[in-house]
Amino acid sequence: MTSALSREHTATAWLIRREENGWTADDNARLEAWLNADPKNRIAFYRMQFGWQKVDRLAALREPAVPMPVHNSARWWGRRGVGPALSIAASLALGAIIVWHLVGLERHTYTTSIGGRIEVPLSDGSKIELNTDTRLRAEVNANSRTVWLENGEAYFDVAHDATRPFVVHGGTRNITVLGTKFSVRRDGDRVEVVVLEGRVRVDDLASPERAVVITRGDIAISQGVALNIKHSEEHAADELSWRRGMLTFNEMTLVDAAAEFNRYNHKQLVVVDPRAAAVHIGGSFDATNVEAFVRLLRQGFGLRVEDEGNVIRISR
Amino acid sequence: MIDEAILKNWFFAEIFPLDAALTRFIRRNWRNEADVADLRQDIYARVYASASERLPLQAKPFLYITARNHLINCAKRAKIVSFEHVADLDSLGFPHDAITPDRQLTAREELYRAQEGLNRLPPRCREVVMLRKIEGLSTREASERLGVGIDTIEQQLVHGMRALVDFMLGGSGKIRRKATKPRVSIKREL
Repeated sequence: MTSALSREHTATAWLIRREENGWTADDNARLEAWLNADPKNRIAFYRMQFGWQKVDRLAALREPAVPMPVHNSARWWGRRGVGPALSIAASLALGAIIVWHLVGLERHTYTTSIGGRIEVPLSDGSKIELNTDTRLRAEVNANSRTVWLENGEAYFDVAHDATRPFVVHGGTRNITVLGTKFSVRRDGDRVEVVVLEGRVRVDDLASPERAVVITRGDIAISQGVALNIKHSEEHAADELSWRRGMLTFNEMTLVDAAAEFNRYNHKQLVVVDPRAAAVHIGGSFDATNVEAFVRLLRQGFGLRVEDEGNVIRISR
Repeated sequence: MIDEAILKNWFFAEIFPLDAALTRFIRRNWRNEADVADLRQDIYARVYASASERLPLQAKPFLYITARNHLINCAKRAKIVSFEHVADLDSLGFPHDAITPDRQLTAREELYRAQEGLNRLPPRCREVVMLRKIEGLSTREASERLGVGIDTIEQQLVHGMRALVDFMLGGSGKIRRKATKPRVSIKREL
């Protein structure tokens, strides 16, 4: 069976060849034959073509004489060291031109309700994913990119732009992005930062000299003046499983696991019995499917579960 | 039978804008990340087959029902059946926000997004794509400009364009190399 990825590969090669000058009727017949051979070929071709049209927006960069990004390219092609630097410089130059065109100011407030999750594209190419029960404001202008996380949790995938720092304000902490992918969770004055890729700097507003830089796989949890940093790429990935709609518990006590579920659901779990509260839970669960979790508690752990409509009481 | 041109327009206007949302839905309801691209392809093929008989009135619910049924079938067929998983899929019912389209980007936002995708490509790949999409060079012209073979240019272009399209449709924009070596079947001597 042909995998979707290899079909995509072939479809892309067809799209590229079809744009060339030497495209003949014979070529076209061969493409038609490939498309007709399997509807999946056709779908893969259409889908690539759909995305391709979006990539064609890049043609807009043709107009005002764009600095030629590939001086001496034949020379550097074989030399690894110089190439990337030149090329990055070229991209930055392009970036600068685009910023020039951006005179407008963008400022929006985004919210999610309990159990909700949305993905928000910013005009600079960055993406923000809001987790359950979250409110944040985002402003992008010609000099800076700023987000105010009022409450809840969000994941940031930040477009690289050295000229416009990306800063997240989360209560008592400021998070300045030096790299690319991370999340911030805020419950009152507790701020948790998880870094998936790159580096971020966490500043304490009360004492600016206490700034720390954390990197890939680091989890920083601050509350008041206290700041605790641990490193575990596995835990960092678990912390972000909400992006797939999942909660991942690593030997977490039932009372903490219940608190996590309660962030995502109107139906609240209440652990009424200290012996039940101390039970340790591990595994991945659908964040909004409390019923499945409760079934597991009853069948797997032999706990008593009383469903009272808005509240589920758990005891031993 | 629906005319192919109409079918294609319908996919472009109604189905592909939901691509990122569909991918999220699959990822959320299927444990093995490696299956996502194949499942999406199969779901599209099912949608295509039904739509070529008659275009559904509403694309979103139709896509959702098709996706859900396909995941249930696959879960039931899987060698190790997780009853819990099948039960969860069965109980999905019809949440109105299961497949929520992302806000459509404006032309300017799409340009920024394409630029960001470009910045994430490895340097050589990025350069080949820039020559093609910004300067409008053909594969041959790019090969002459850079002094490397046409095949190399085409390979870089395929990788770069796939990654960019993936990024524009909401993916990570990472390059995925196809396993180029054909699978060798070992003859067993009887």
